[in-house]
Amino acid sequence: MKPVLLMLFLLLPPAVMADVTHTTNPDNGLQGWHFSDGDIEIELVQRLPDQTRALFMQHAFSSEVIEELATSCMFQTIIRNTGASGSGQPVSVDLGEWRMQHAGSRGPIKLKEPWMASWPEEAADPAARLVFRWGMFPTRQEFLPGDYNWGLTAFGIPPGSVFDLDVSWLERDSSRTGKITGIVCTPDVDALQ
Amino acid sequence: MMVIMFMMKQVFRAGVILLLAGACYAGQTLTPIPGNIPAPDFELQDTEGNTHRLSDYRGTPVIINFWTTWCPPCREEIPSMNRAWHQLERDGVVMLGINMGEDEDTIFVFSADYPADFPMLMDQAGKVIDDYPVKGLPTTYVVAPDGTFAYRAIGGREWDDAALLDKVRALRE
Repeated sequence: MKPVLLMLFLLLPPAVMADVTHTTNPDNGLQGWHFSDGDIEIELVQRLPDQTRALFMQHAFSSEVIEELATSCMFQTIIRNTGASGSGQPVSVDLGEWRMQHAGSRGPIKLKEPWMASWPEEAADPAARLVFRWGMFPTRQEFLPGDYNWGLTAFGIPPGSVFDLDVSWLERDSSRTGKITGIVCTPDVDALQ
Repeated sequence: MMVIMFMMKQVFRAGVILLLAGACYAGQTLTPIPGNIPAPDFELQDTEGNTHRLSDYRGTPVIINFWTTWCPPCREEIPSMNRAWHQLERDGVVMLGINMGEDEDTIFVFSADYPADFPMLMDQAGKVIDDYPVKGLPTTYVVAPDGTFAYRAIGGREWDDAALLDKVRALRE
């Protein structure tokens, strides 16, 4: 039976084990973390606080809210169902289940719904709130094979902070978890000088 | 020994099938939407001032793409959507871009870098996108000639791909 077991092992798709890679863009120095396991791919790419300021300054947010957004450790985030297993199963993600570890404590990441609800009415007009709502990654989403989404995730810690992230997702009804360690929030522009 | 060889062949065959299936799913997809669910009707103006109602296009497949200028994958797929539109226009398929939350000046400036010849409708208050089951941008729905949802694509696609366009053409009555 041993050759059969060996054959089975060799035929397992390579994506069944979690894989995390860390990259640095040679053009702009921004770092990225790419996680893949089973049918899911998660990619986090640093955003400069100034990139976030530039995006939201084009819309009617108060200066306090723009600064809060810019210094909340935002990442461009892509989540994809690669369909690598060939099973055609959906992948569901609930960002409310993700947990981050920073400075010795463990807690949830920032979610757009309570964040936006915390702003007074004059802090952002309805059009600006639309930009925020659609610019941030959906809190809950299901992905079928080939589906992906792009959006911002925020971790609510100061620029330059380092944290670990416990990610979780459902493949059909099966709960899966993984970990990305040593994620770095981009320092603000004054720290780069 | 013969039994082991037979089992290895079966395992190898199963493995090849699995790998091929994986390759298929990893490619470009349109997800079928079962149940003949009616697509919500809407009335929106395009950047030229023309009014479009979804119900005006009954009898024709309609591709509806929700997008914004500040969404990178939206920008990425617009050139291929435009190429697809030039193939589909003569086949009696309608393509509508629905921009979420921006005005015609913003779209006009954007279109200098990303020209699109299909109608760009403006959902400035985000009311139409709220009526549709959209979670993120870009999202595209294909509406069948009877006005029901046929397919959806979450995230960008290379739209000038025969694998996708043939599915849309096949909806024609």
